[in-house]
Amino acid sequence: MTLKMDTLLADGVTIVACTGRIVFGEEASGLRESLKKLLETTKRIVLNLSGVTYIDSGGLGTLVGVYSSARAQGADIKLTGLGQRLRDVLAITKLATVFEVYDTEQEAIAAFKGSRS
Amino acid sequence: MKGGFSPFPLGLIPVIICTQEESRVLRLMAFQPISGITSDPGSGVFPSLIYVQGNEQRSIVMNRTPFSVGRKVDKDLVIPDPRVSRDHALIVAENGDFFVVDQGSKHGTYVNGERVQRQRLQRNDRVEFGVRDVAYVIFSPQHATSNTAREFLSQISGIQISTDTTDLEKLTLFLEAARKLNTVGVLDEILVTLVDTTLKLTRAERGYVFLKDEEGNLRLAAGRNSKGEALLDDKTISHSILDEAMKSNSEFLFTDTSQSLDLAVRQSIVAYDLRTVICLPLRKPQVQTFRDASNPAEAEVMGALYLDSRFASRDISSVSHDILRVIATDTASLIENARLVQAEEASRRYQQELAIAASIQQRLMAVTIPEVPFARMRGRNLSCKEIGGDFFDVVHTEDGLAVVLADVSGKGVSAAVLASTLQGMVYAHLIARMKLTDIMASVNRFFTQKHLGEKYATVIITRIRKDGELEYVNCGHVPPLLVSQGSVMRPQHGNLPVGLLADATYEGDRVQMKPGDRFILVTDGVTEAENAAGDFYDNERLEEIAAKSPTLEDIFASVSTFCAGAPLGDDCTVVELEYTG
Repeated sequence: MTLKMDTLLADGVTIVACTGRIVFGEEASGLRESLKKLLETTKRIVLNLSGVTYIDSGGLGTLVGVYSSARAQGADIKLTGLGQRLRDVLAITKLATVFEVYDTEQEAIAAFKGSRS
Repeated sequence: MKGGFSPFPLGLIPVIICTQEESRVLRLMAFQPISGITSDPGSGVFPSLIYVQGNEQRSIVMNRTPFSVGRKVDKDLVIPDPRVSRDHALIVAENGDFFVVDQGSKHGTYVNGERVQRQRLQRNDRVEFGVRDVAYVIFSPQHATSNTAREFLSQISGIQISTDTTDLEKLTLFLEAARKLNTVGVLDEILVTLVDTTLKLTRAERGYVFLKDEEGNLRLAAGRNSKGEALLDDKTISHSILDEAMKSNSEFLFTDTSQSLDLAVRQSIVAYDLRTVICLPLRKPQVQTFRDASNPAEAEVMGALYLDSRFASRDISSVSHDILRVIATDTASLIENARLVQAEEASRRYQQELAIAASIQQRLMAVTIPEVPFARMRGRNLSCKEIGGDFFDVVHTEDGLAVVLADVSGKGVSAAVLASTLQGMVYAHLIARMKLTDIMASVNRFFTQKHLGEKYATVIITRIRKDGELEYVNCGHVPPLLVSQGSVMRPQHGNLPVGLLADATYEGDRVQMKPGDRFILVTDGVTEAENAAGDFYDNERLEEIAAKSPTLEDIFASVSTFCAGAPLGDDCTVVELEYTG
């Protein structure tokens, strides 16, 4: 497995810092299972992808899948720390209009506070 | 192997069709047919026939007697030829033999070329009904594989190495040779030969091999008597001894009426007039180094070899224990080997199925490019795996020439199944002249409603009209390239991929093409082709070569030069649509 996930709680928001590659296979399923588990106890997750070097089509599918199920249960996942390549991919696939993307962790956390969701 | 082991090799089944008188005799002999085997062609109680007509032949299981042959449609075998009489002949069973009986036919019934009224049928007899040569029946033919295997085995078991060769050595020799056999269905043959040899060695009267099926129940796999006749399951087999042997830790169970103290066992032995029963549990062979000889019971029991003799016949209580031990261990490894051969065969068939699926997929994905006066289309795909997730298709309707290029997430068989479904939907919708945006919305709806587990596809669909107006709907794809007079534009309009979000909406865009303009669609396998240093081929290089060269081959050559031998990580597909005016 080439994906590491570190979880940290700040101001009632769970921050998940990912390091490595999010690719189809055990990395994508690992991410899905971890986030699913977190969603049992929290409704506010910030996914920091600054340590992620590569996301393939399967990994992207997983991100959207987890995001959709979070929204369906009244929770939210916001993204931060996106590299240029991931920004490009989100732009091409128009997924940038689906995810809420922030430049910094602080901005993402602040967005949760503002929304009071 | 589905459905467990065929209890008998072809043709070694005692025939149990009889008159009441015979039925009484058979009941006295306590033969019991095993339920469920009669439906299995070739290994059932009834023999099979091979009906040959011209170049075609089919196998018929005679599932009843009398078995009628004639021109009438209600016959068991209908031969629609004027030379065949309406009620031509019957095949009847008597005393375990089969006879063909002519019913006063006009053109006669022939067995091996001779006209007959009534004739006993033997294996491989050729039977003709009125019409000769054009259509005929082979009675109870021997299975080709079984034939060779059985002949081979009988050669081995009958071999005389030297006068000093003991039966035990012969058995070992036989087992050795049988292990090397690589024939399908050979297990039945091995078991029969094994029981025969064992009966010879032990001088027991009857021998049976029982094997556990998938549910763990013992099923008869072979049964023979000392005369070499096949036996079916029988109420006189002591199942209490069998059960005990399966549960026991010992290498074999030897029961003599004079020694057994167990009341139940004694009763069954006495009831069936058995003098001696030897039952050898067959344990799965284990790797030598891990084998704990003091505790053989740890190995999985896969069946049992059962030998017995009745009071009336010989005494087998003096059989050497060494012989029994050798038989038990060697039989087990023999069966295990035969099963491995069968598993290998099953896996080979599975591979074949996959190869067939792959070839169907390839044919589905094969594109016939239609000739249209105003446009030219070219496409090329380079797969990184045998079955990939990329595909393109082209459909010409009165609305224009439509081209679709898709990249299904993931790779392998799952991606191929989705690609085929997607292709079929898009094709059908295009033929129905649906709006491109509606097609994508429909596909998205289908994919999201089916919950395909995060599987989705990026698709770009485009249609060019006679007047050069080109409409495209880009669903998550790399932006297309519009090459016009040596300059490259990237029309940026796009939508979400299909299959990700149920509430996604799809919009298209239009560009006006001039004669000579090219619209190039690529999958991300091209832009994300990586070289050894980890750099991507990317858009700049793609645009540069597209502006410079009018051929797809040059684009692929440029990618390949860039990668310099680094293997492709994803399928690469390029499709080009040129407006000729």
